[in-house]
Amino acid sequence: MPPTLNPLDLVSRVNRDVERSLLRARNGVRYMRGSLRADVGATPKEVVWKRGKAELWRYRNGTVRHGPPVLIVHSLVSRSYILDLRPGNSLVEYMTGAGLDVFMLDWGVPDELDADNDLERYVDWYLPRAVAAVQREAGSDEVTLMGYCLGGVLGALYAAGHEAAPVRNLVLMATPVNYDAMGAMVALLREGRLDPDELFDDTGNVPADALYSGFYMQAPTVEVAQKATLLENLWNDEFVESFQAMAQWSRDHVPFPGAVFRQLVEDLIRKNVLMTGSMRLGDRRVDLANARGNVLNAMAERDNVVPPPAVEPVMELIGDPARREELRLPGGHVTFGTGRSAVKHTMPGLTGWIIDHSDEET
Amino acid sequence: MSSKQPLWLQAVHRLERAVGEPIEKAVRTDTYFDVVTKATRATAQARRTVVGTSTRVLHLLNLPADSDVRRMREQLARMERRLNQLSDDVSELDGSPPRTRSRTRP
Repeated sequence: MPPTLNPLDLVSRVNRDVERSLLRARNGVRYMRGSLRADVGATPKEVVWKRGKAELWRYRNGTVRHGPPVLIVHSLVSRSYILDLRPGNSLVEYMTGAGLDVFMLDWGVPDELDADNDLERYVDWYLPRAVAAVQREAGSDEVTLMGYCLGGVLGALYAAGHEAAPVRNLVLMATPVNYDAMGAMVALLREGRLDPDELFDDTGNVPADALYSGFYMQAPTVEVAQKATLLENLWNDEFVESFQAMAQWSRDHVPFPGAVFRQLVEDLIRKNVLMTGSMRLGDRRVDLANARGNVLNAMAERDNVVPPPAVEPVMELIGDPARREELRLPGGHVTFGTGRSAVKHTMPGLTGWIIDHSDEET
Repeated sequence: MSSKQPLWLQAVHRLERAVGEPIEKAVRTDTYFDVVTKATRATAQARRTVVGTSTRVLHLLNLPADSDVRRMREQLARMERRLNQLSDDVSELDGSPPRTRSRTRP
């Protein structure tokens, strides 16, 4: 027997639908006009150090209860606000809220001045200075170094290549080491296909548009489904703001510095050198097993940018075997910064591990 | 979750997957990567031809071309990089690293 419809229910449903239609119209106009900008990167912070385009931010969000301070090294291909996307959905906010002293090394937007920046520039020049600045600011002898995506590669090379690196913990988030397992993301750059120089623009860097196209072509029709979902939820301010924030980030790539891109293609992708356990950096060979500190290898099970097989070998290559741990998370590449799964699994998982390997501040 | 979605939205999602899955498979094939490689090279070659012709015309008229401006920008960038390096070296010798403190937004 079909359920009977209460007239009062019917009236309330009509009222709800009318109200939602009005809100849809209002948000739709705002969306089309572009005046609905998401409030991204909202955790209070200050710039405490700056060199070239690189800036070191210190977040201020409550009392610091655990040390050493955490230095997040962001990737070179995207904007760092993915890790502080929106209030209530931010890894940085979660970590600071849990009493960690969080710093972010943001690389800025490279231009022709950065075209010569190579791996050595990042690993041997920027990182030691940024780490020293963190130590100075926080008054700490050590740091927890946390690298996201390519930022993890930079962090691992720094921790392995500097004998005096004051790294208590090395947290690698979606850090690719096996480039043979990177699939479609790097297929265009394999031997015999495009050479790095063919992608450079007049500034000597890979333009942000080229990087965006690479990511977009992974799933070119998904945007249609996303826009349809937005249309259905256009009445919901919270949903629209989250959608805007994510859409803004996914289009907001930065140019990739030419010299480091050349090394990425020739050494990491074509020779897959990290899988040998070492890499030539400047005039020396860096042995990844020499990485200092406890190592946490965090990966997302449904990451199609850096799939788990590209990340798993960290457990055999980086740091002291007795001090390596693995954290498998549900979700995709952005689960390290945002999303329901991030709030439920990633943020507590990463923060808990760091706190377990930190000291109580008195 | 999907049961709470209206029928039209479920239909759009199904249609998107029906079209999207074969496309996603296609853009992961060697054929696709070979086509993109050739297309990128052809576009670059066409651009070089057009730029080469326009440069010759502009030089005939004794006017600077885009490539001249680009070379100048490269030289300026090299000089600025060198200046920045020197400035950093001097700061570190002084023991007073350039340091800034300000509120920031992305």
